[in-house]
Amino acid sequence: MKHTPNDKKIMAKMQAGVITYSGFLGKDTRDFNQIIADDEMVLDELGKTAEEIANRLEYFQQKSFDAFEASTLVDKIYEVDTEVVRGYLPCPFMHQGVYRKSYTTITNTKSGKSFTYSALNIHLIRAHHFFEGKKSHFRLEPRELVAELF
Amino acid sequence: MLIRILEDIALMSGIGVILALILVLAQRWLSNYGEVTININGKRDLTVTGGNSLLSSLSDEQIFIPSACGGRGTCGACKCQVLEGGGPILPTEKPLLTKAEMADNVRLSCQVKVKSDIKIQIPEAIFNIRRFNSVIEEIVDYTYDIKGVTFKLNEGQSIDFKAGQYVQLETKPYEKIKQKVMRAYSISSKPEIRDRIQLIIRLVPEGVCTTWVHTQLKVGDKVDFTGAYGDFYLRDTAADILFVAGGSGSAPIKSMLEHLQEVGTNRKMTYFFGARTTKDLYLDEEMRAFEEFFDDFEYVPVLSHATEAENWQGKTGYLMPYFKDAIRDPKNTEAYLCGSPGMIAAVTKSLINDYGIAEEKIYYDSFG
Repeated sequence: MKHTPNDKKIMAKMQAGVITYSGFLGKDTRDFNQIIADDEMVLDELGKTAEEIANRLEYFQQKSFDAFEASTLVDKIYEVDTEVVRGYLPCPFMHQGVYRKSYTTITNTKSGKSFTYSALNIHLIRAHHFFEGKKSHFRLEPRELVAELF
Repeated sequence: MLIRILEDIALMSGIGVILALILVLAQRWLSNYGEVTININGKRDLTVTGGNSLLSSLSDEQIFIPSACGGRGTCGACKCQVLEGGGPILPTEKPLLTKAEMADNVRLSCQVKVKSDIKIQIPEAIFNIRRFNSVIEEIVDYTYDIKGVTFKLNEGQSIDFKAGQYVQLETKPYEKIKQKVMRAYSISSKPEIRDRIQLIIRLVPEGVCTTWVHTQLKVGDKVDFTGAYGDFYLRDTAADILFVAGGSGSAPIKSMLEHLQEVGTNRKMTYFFGARTTKDLYLDEEMRAFEEFFDDFEYVPVLSHATEAENWQGKTGYLMPYFKDAIRDPKNTEAYLCGSPGMIAAVTKSLINDYGIAEEKIYYDSFG
């Protein structure tokens, strides 16, 4: 796949040590455009949009903020916890703005399945349909999100 | 035929070289701003070579404006007023500036290029910020994810700070990390010790600096930092004190208590420390020792996620309900808070609305 100069800049920002310690691509050998395209196909198959997933993640995160980041039970089955540490992260796609280093963990108490995501993950999913590369620290599997959070 | 092809290649290469030379020369000529003057606070003039960012121009002159992202325009920490000569606000600055700040000529100093004479306004306290070179003297594991690191300053250097202030640590390239980053950490040692400082650093998931501290740093390593920064410091009054912290937020509180131990105090003081489980508690022994030392100091750890297996006998849940036993006169009480924005917001709201403490007597250092 031919990369535009902008794509190359984005790829550079996604590498380990540029924005985060291990980067956004994990062990994925695909480029970010392909990762996005493949995840979009999964979303189509599931009948959900990236925006719906981002909204859902934001909904839980906001519930946690409303509880001053203390552990809170949402919709009777989701245990939600947020931890905020010092600092902000920029978007690797070079969107303006920065995202607080907040890490929200949702546990579906029925299935026991948990997901941890940052404020930046919500932006990446909503604005770029980017769920990160396989085995990256904050990779979110669209199929699992849809199965557990809707 | 072959000669013709080679001639064409040579011609094209020649044209390429000439164009490249023109570009280099043009860039050198066009971006040569010569010497320019930075006027600071209407009092002091610095003569610098034009073309660099305001942040780095000042840093070269040993004036250190706080910056957590190393001048990449992402942290918003390096704000200062540019009264003249800064050019228009750039799109990279707008997301990090409020309307009021823009109206007040506040800019991100890392994004402002010094191309001509410029007038700026910065807090006087910034002139006290220095760059320090140190050697790691001690690393202590406080919990599974929190370390206490002591930095011994190089011979001849000494640091002047107020209990509660912070420094900015500079990482070195490691593993795949090629750029250095700067991150802010509160000083946890007392200001009376001027030849070394201690920082308490919690491992942040995917954090470039905290991973460096936790996985790379060892005793004897050389580390640079700048400081001291911040307006979160202990006020010299006689008011009762409520300290409230969570996570690594104990650092400035420890510094304040050690300072009070040094200078002596009879102020009533209570320290509420919020943690998730017993695994997240640290400095317990030090706090119990403060209880022994001070006439009127109480340490109150409160756990939010204690499990039955932990057999925790102390306080649990939110911190706020426990304040009532510690506040005897809201009009004569100051609060010092350090932790996450959620904790700061919840505690501030409760102190004002439930306990009647004046907002201006609540001082905080928020992680957000």
